[in-house]
Amino acid sequence: MKRWLLPALLVLIGLTGVAQAAETPVEITLWHQFNYAERVVLEKQLEEFNRLHPEIKVTSLYRETEELRSGFQNSALAGRGPEMIHGPSDQVGPFAIMGIIKPLEGLFGEAERDSLNPQALVWFEDHLYQVADRFGNHLTLVYNKALVPEPPTTDLELIQIGQELTKDTDGDGKVDQFGLTWNFTEPFFFIPFLGGFGGWMIDDQNRPTLDTQANRDALQFVQDLRDKYKITPQNADYETAHTLFNEGKAGMIINGDWSWATYIENGIDIGVTRIPKITKTGLWPTPIVSPRGYSLNRNLKEEKLDATLTFIRFMLSYDQQKALAAQTGIMPARTALRDDPVISDNPIMTGSLEQIEVGKPMPVVPELRAIWDSMRPFYQAVLGGTITADEAATGMQKTAERKIAEMNTVIQPAPYVPVLYGIALLALVALLWFSRHSFGQFVRDARKRPFIYWMVVPAFVVIFLTVVYPFLYNVVLSMSNMGLRNFFDWDVVGFQNYGKVFLEPGFYGVLGKTIIWTSVNLVFHVGIGVFLALLLHRVLPGRGLIRMLLILPWAVPQYITALTWRGMFNTEYGAVNLIIAKYFSMPIVNWLGSPVEAFTACILTNIWLGFPFMMIVALGGLQSIPHQLYEAADIDGASPWQKFKNITYPLLKPVMTPSIILGTVWTFNNLNVIWLVSNAGEPSDQTHILVSFVYKSAFNLYRYGYAAAMSMVIFAILLVFGIFFLKRARAVEPVY
Amino acid sequence: MVKNKWPTRILIYAILLVFVLIAVYPVIRVASISLRPGDRLLSTSLALIPPDATLDNFRILFTERPFLRWVLNSTIVSFAVTLFGVALASTAGYIISRYKFVGRTTAMLSILTTQMFPATMLLLPMYIIISRLNLINTYVGLIVVYSATALPFCVWTMKGFYDTIPSSLEEAAMIDGCNRFQAFYKVVFPLASPALVITGLFSFISSWSEYLVAAQVLQDPVMYTLPLGLKQFQQSMSTEWGLYAAGALVVSIPVIGLFLFANRWLVGGLTLGGVKE
Repeated sequence: MKRWLLPALLVLIGLTGVAQAAETPVEITLWHQFNYAERVVLEKQLEEFNRLHPEIKVTSLYRETEELRSGFQNSALAGRGPEMIHGPSDQVGPFAIMGIIKPLEGLFGEAERDSLNPQALVWFEDHLYQVADRFGNHLTLVYNKALVPEPPTTDLELIQIGQELTKDTDGDGKVDQFGLTWNFTEPFFFIPFLGGFGGWMIDDQNRPTLDTQANRDALQFVQDLRDKYKITPQNADYETAHTLFNEGKAGMIINGDWSWATYIENGIDIGVTRIPKITKTGLWPTPIVSPRGYSLNRNLKEEKLDATLTFIRFMLSYDQQKALAAQTGIMPARTALRDDPVISDNPIMTGSLEQIEVGKPMPVVPELRAIWDSMRPFYQAVLGGTITADEAATGMQKTAERKIAEMNTVIQPAPYVPVLYGIALLALVALLWFSRHSFGQFVRDARKRPFIYWMVVPAFVVIFLTVVYPFLYNVVLSMSNMGLRNFFDWDVVGFQNYGKVFLEPGFYGVLGKTIIWTSVNLVFHVGIGVFLALLLHRVLPGRGLIRMLLILPWAVPQYITALTWRGMFNTEYGAVNLIIAKYFSMPIVNWLGSPVEAFTACILTNIWLGFPFMMIVALGGLQSIPHQLYEAADIDGASPWQKFKNITYPLLKPVMTPSIILGTVWTFNNLNVIWLVSNAGEPSDQTHILVSFVYKSAFNLYRYGYAAAMSMVIFAILLVFGIFFLKRARAVEPVY
Repeated sequence: MVKNKWPTRILIYAILLVFVLIAVYPVIRVASISLRPGDRLLSTSLALIPPDATLDNFRILFTERPFLRWVLNSTIVSFAVTLFGVALASTAGYIISRYKFVGRTTAMLSILTTQMFPATMLLLPMYIIISRLNLINTYVGLIVVYSATALPFCVWTMKGFYDTIPSSLEEAAMIDGCNRFQAFYKVVFPLASPALVITGLFSFISSWSEYLVAAQVLQDPVMYTLPLGLKQFQQSMSTEWGLYAAGALVVSIPVIGLFLFANRWLVGGLTLGGVKE
């Protein structure tokens, strides 16, 4: 490339940017996680805003909560991102610590703040970081008026009504109507009871407070509802609980404001009221109330600030807040609206408001995420019947303390870091020095035979273009202390992260599971794939149709099929259990509730997803085998097995080898299936493979340096495997 | 190709039937979600056609959501990746199969290693580099990344397939007056059609269904590809399941179509037999 070309191009790009900036409206972007009903309202609000303020153009982008978080972090780190984000308050603490959102107290005056519910102003370490325009995510008791005419107000009434409702309505010996149901797997749904027994998960010093009598009582209470009073189903994750209520098979459900519209849409006459009072303490259960609102990006440009604030003020105005409440049933932040008929005349809204009154605000500190991750496995284990409430409370506390310490630790640079740079430099020099002959040969060879290099080089340039930088970035990251408290200004600190990986008690068990996961999957993928390809290679009428049906698992998007499999593994209603009970007369299996079975369920799902690919590759490979070879073998009187061994196998091998190696690598790193089928490692984080373990235990808790180190270890394992396998298979060499 | 007697045939059909049932059943469950009104992912009944079945989700998909726009966007991206990927892989794979040159083994091994690093960790640096290159919100960025991810498999598979084609074929062509490139693309390239189908399908399906990178690169809803579009139906705890399932089914139709179209080159097209060793 000519030397002047690049700067010239950059200038050109710069100029077009300047030219565009003049006279066009100020463009601002909002990233949000609104549900569909909210999005419909937002569209109308944007139209209205555009009419009032033609000088401002607002673009909105929906992202699912977790992706909003990670997407915003990435873009803010790269110096870009939307001007503002709208999300739940629990992301405020981490964002503020990372330094990717701006303090707002100087931008919103006192009068303005006073018009909002105080809980809508989210402060963290003496700064205002979020101004909420709506409340939500609080759990309430939702009851089906057809089954529960008068809702319970105390736990005793709850149990009594529940017991009347829980019965076998069609006389097949199985309970098919329940008094109460809710998501058993998420501690978020347990928190109201923790509060009801007088406890809470975190104190004002951000320390976990889980080793308490209140926690033991609450755990015991939840377990008793199912095992002693038998008013809830044996196993219910969110979707199961939701389905039971939606189909009129549960009288009451504990669920949040996002779900009410669906129930109404499905024709259920619902009522919304407080979760019943706990008699033992005389306290109302305390669901978490989470404001959702606006925060400003640290990269927000000064000239766009006014436009951004204008938009937020518009959204906080009385009329817009009223439209939101009227059309979505979501509680607005403006206090004056409480007396507006839109709320006061709507029994669901007033029920919701009553629940908010006894709820507690969502803690916004990052420690909360570590607490959730610590509560979840123990909570699931209590309900799985493997540990007692007492053991769980102790275990939760210990784990939470450890995770919080890990999350907040900032590793100090080791004294040998300068030496590390020296070694890296030396290694680079040595590498160049020792490869100088190869380089020389390469250049000479390329000059001599340009044809060869022209055909090969483009592919490699494209591959390495996109991978080299990210890879080197991770190498450096793995030796750094990048994390929650060092998001921008991290340092290279040495090999401490690697040390932690190998000292991590869970690591070796997870590695073992990963190896089982990978090998079992691969054996079945390749075995079934080749077997089917051999059958389909024969002359058979209708094989085109069969082939088409057999690739369906590859063609339909994985996300939905994996979740469908999860549904099929449901203990009581899933197709798998119904089939094995009906046609094979075998005892039913609690697939998703116990570790080994849940892991098997993941493997079965992944085998289903993966065999068509291997089948297609094998089918293609079989085409390359000249049939004269088989004819010659027939003349020699060879048996089918001899033909397979001496003709099919050696000629199929070169075509299958790359798929087998890459299939292994992909399966080893397959996060999706585990995540979807076992719902991120359930039960009790017992179904993790290495990648999902990295994601959950490191990446999720902002430990980026540590996550990078773990990923490097994964890379090293696969590298060793790859080299070993290729050597054995002699895949680089031709066959003929 | 092997011909069989009837008893063997019945056995083969029976086996295939079992696998077809296993392959199809979950997809039928997805279809029944798409027919259910009111966003119900699960059902306590095993009925495949729900009593209150409706095609509303399909109607909403096509009329109330920009679904066709997503289809168009994804088609552009996926075809570009497929053409680009297959073109690069078929040439590179050929050379690697036929010639010994400096750096060959290293190159082959190193492209495999690019697949070994967990993808989640690559997203942040990839975002940084794409945004530095000003490729955010462009298909160019997406197409390059997708090709780079699909290429290692494609190059290796092409190479493996070329390995099974005897090189005496090109030698004969070159004696007949072809140059090296002509010998490649007139003689060997058509014979490699099954591998072209495999790599083409692979490139297509992987870019057709890719989500993670697309979510980083595309930040303008008008440019959304299908996976990003379908993801719009998904919200924490209030997913529009009916639409999602309907969308997922419609999305797989082009894949099936492409497969049927490519079928004749995958199986039963040109077969080897021109050479006797």
